Amino acid sequence: MKEDTIPDIFLGKVKKYGDRVALREKEFGIWQEISWNQYCRHVRHFCLGLMELGLKKGDHVSIFGENEPEWLYADLAIQSAGAVAVGVYPTNPAKEAGYVIGHSESIFVVCDNQEQVDKVLEAGQQLPLLQRIIVTDIKGLRRYTDSMIMPFTSVEELGREVEEQDPDKYYRTVETVQSEDIAIMVYTSGTTGPPKGAMLSHDNVVQFLKAQSQVLPQYDTDEIVSYLPLCHVAERMMSVFFPINSGATVNFAESVETVSTDMREVLPTFFLAVPRIWEKIMAGIMIKMKDASWLKRKMYQVIFPVGERMADAKLAKEQVSISLKIKYGLAYLALLRHLKKELGLLRARIAVSGAAPIAPEVLKFFHSLGVPVLEGWGMTEETGIGAINLPDDVRLGTVGKPIPGVEIKIAEDGEILLRCNHIFVGYWRDPEATARTVVDGWLHTGDVGELDEDGRLKITDRKKEIIITSGGKNIAPSEIENRLKCSAYINEAIVIGDGRKYLTALIQIEYDNVGKWAQESGIAYTTFKSLSQNPRIWELIQQEVDEANKDFAQVETIKKFRLLEKELDHDDDELTATLKLRRKTVNKKFGHIIEEMYSSKSRG
Amino acid sequence: MSLLDIQNITLSFGGITALSEVSLSVEKGELYAIIGPNGAGKTSLLNCISGFYKPQSGTILFEERDISQNRPDQIAQMGIARTFQNVELFANMNVIDNMLLGRHNHFKIGLFKNGMLGYRAKAETEHRLKVEEIIDFLEMEQWRKHQVSSLPYGVQKRVELGRALAQEPRILLLDEPMTGMNQEETEDIARFILDVHQELGTTIVMIEHDMGVVMDISERIGVLDFGRKIAEGTPQKVQKDPDVQKAYLGENYEEVLKGAAG
Repeated sequence: MKEDTIPDIFLGKVKKYGDRVALREKEFGIWQEISWNQYCRHVRHFCLGLMELGLKKGDHVSIFGENEPEWLYADLAIQSAGAVAVGVYPTNPAKEAGYVIGHSESIFVVCDNQEQVDKVLEAGQQLPLLQRIIVTDIKGLRRYTDSMIMPFTSVEELGREVEEQDPDKYYRTVETVQSEDIAIMVYTSGTTGPPKGAMLSHDNVVQFLKAQSQVLPQYDTDEIVSYLPLCHVAERMMSVFFPINSGATVNFAESVETVSTDMREVLPTFFLAVPRIWEKIMAGIMIKMKDASWLKRKMYQVIFPVGERMADAKLAKEQVSISLKIKYGLAYLALLRHLKKELGLLRARIAVSGAAPIAPEVLKFFHSLGVPVLEGWGMTEETGIGAINLPDDVRLGTVGKPIPGVEIKIAEDGEILLRCNHIFVGYWRDPEATARTVVDGWLHTGDVGELDEDGRLKITDRKKEIIITSGGKNIAPSEIENRLKCSAYINEAIVIGDGRKYLTALIQIEYDNVGKWAQESGIAYTTFKSLSQNPRIWELIQQEVDEANKDFAQVETIKKFRLLEKELDHDDDELTATLKLRRKTVNKKFGHIIEEMYSSKSRG
Repeated sequence: MSLLDIQNITLSFGGITALSEVSLSVEKGELYAIIGPNGAGKTSLLNCISGFYKPQSGTILFEERDISQNRPDQIAQMGIARTFQNVELFANMNVIDNMLLGRHNHFKIGLFKNGMLGYRAKAETEHRLKVEEIIDFLEMEQWRKHQVSSLPYGVQKRVELGRALAQEPRILLLDEPMTGMNQEETEDIARFILDVHQELGTTIVMIEHDMGVVMDISERIGVLDFGRKIAEGTPQKVQKDPDVQKAYLGENYEEVLKGAAG
């Protein structure tokens, strides 16, 4: 087999691994195993079923749901038919989901449950091309009379019947798929403007997998937990493409809320998380330590610095002294091992942070625990990772060196330009944006950064988000924001100051942790709003801001801040589906509070 | 023949008449709501059905058998399950154990078979599977092993619903399933009640104060006031009934309504 398309690679692994476990899904409290053969059977039947319903090469099909094996079956089935799989964020409200399904001209949509079906039906008017709504869990849908709705299993049944008549049809179809055909479309989260559909071909994915397996190889012994949204290119890689290339096992968490419990049971060896999750884990440990008994707290205070010293030595690639090795060994047995086990990271061979910038302090924390988290950077438009730190070659504050085949140069205005053999085909129905993004073969990433003398890439910020103060100073807000978010009491921070004399910030408190602190300090509150308005909470956050300010130059310090009275929410348009900030909306919505901070009379 | 047929029951405590001559019938597969102002006798009626109170006169026919003088445990055995206004769970046990208790009536094996490991293990697996199905149905995976007392009130109410479902009841009696809940929890529970009704086909009799929910999800409504049934019918019909408006808004209800409209 030539293995130049995604279904080809998949079928190669099915042949190789047969009855070995490919996927695990926790159902009724027990991990149910799905072998490569069963995986393949689902893909075949669903593919033939879709074709029976009228799917043709080049058509688009949306997948709209939480992570579950059916997501993968649908994804590979659609690609096997030469059609294009489009992921929709399960947290998207009806309007945004309708936009993606409609803009991609999807003829079918695969939903996981009634919640998503309701959204699709609500957006119905926008979707004249939609022919079928296929649903995996039909609970609550029995009384729906819409003739478009069809259970997932019925489609598979349809495909099974086709296969009985014509057992080779699936394999013949796969052979007609060409490597330059579009395989998937990934809608970017759209922090500015509506999302754009980046088209990735089979060749893009295949070339990327070749490059990735040289630097971060994955093996068939690896265990993965699938929990981030699959429509994002990073999780798509983790749960679909890496495993069908390596033979690793994918485990599906029971629900979004049980991820941490499921992690402890699976103990993944290859783990990806976004900065927000790493920050949350860190805050969780910090808060637990404050609550712990005197003995435990003392132990942590003695042991953690040993881990820190070990991490320092390793990061600096220094020779580790025997005494430190012994101390670390003891520290590991006494505390670090248990902590890693508790987090489900005991076996984590490779842990990656990506999709957004992370504060070096957070990374340092995990290195000290003995979980060397590797920060990577990449773009949907170049099929995943562009540069990444490698296990034995980490420099905090950088995203490491470009992966093999990726060439990076910095434009005069500081923008990072990238060239490789897996740059995307273009934006769907938007040739203008495509032409703006890829110029003479160079991908204009929209990120500003620099290369150091070793060729490591350091990301400053998104080009559009750089703040230029009225004093003419260029400031990268995300660096300051991430430093603020290191505090266990701060969930979200928005630094403001473009065209202003000084920097200010809007801060959203971490409700759980601040709430806990308030209870211990005897502060009464009822809701998020009443908590965030309490002057003593304001003082608490002031301390945290002062602490963060110490790490920055005078012009980069936060002079004033306000606490948000509500939690930012995707439903209210303030965050994207990937929980990235929509600055424009936030700045507009809280404009009056911002102005107040720049009027001379205000406090703080 | 109705699944549950209540005929002229009267219940009094000393000189106070809680229910007088109440009759109503619930068909198989129906979602029936009982509403009424405070002290109208709603919970008393539910307590009569589930055997906590014994009416002085009248009959309660469940599948054509009079159960009005039966003990609560006998009634539970027949397939009538209930939840309580204030959560009545075993606070120091975890969610699974609480729900397994709901399986009590389905534990069929006696002392002799229980002694033999094979039988017991098999039975236990079956019961656990049933409980897991309900956990999946009510989306409670994340709390499976949590001690009940540590859970938020809204979740505790869901556990109680789960325990009642574990009985695989033929009639499910819900006593104010939404009290004390916030908007989101109310919507969740309403969704689950509808799912139970539609997916499992369970007959449901529900007492509820939240009129929005009652009007949205129930098929038929009976209205009690001072221990008497004053109206019965579809949500639309009941809403327009002058007696019901009088019961809720007072004697001069017409003026009140005019005032609200103006």
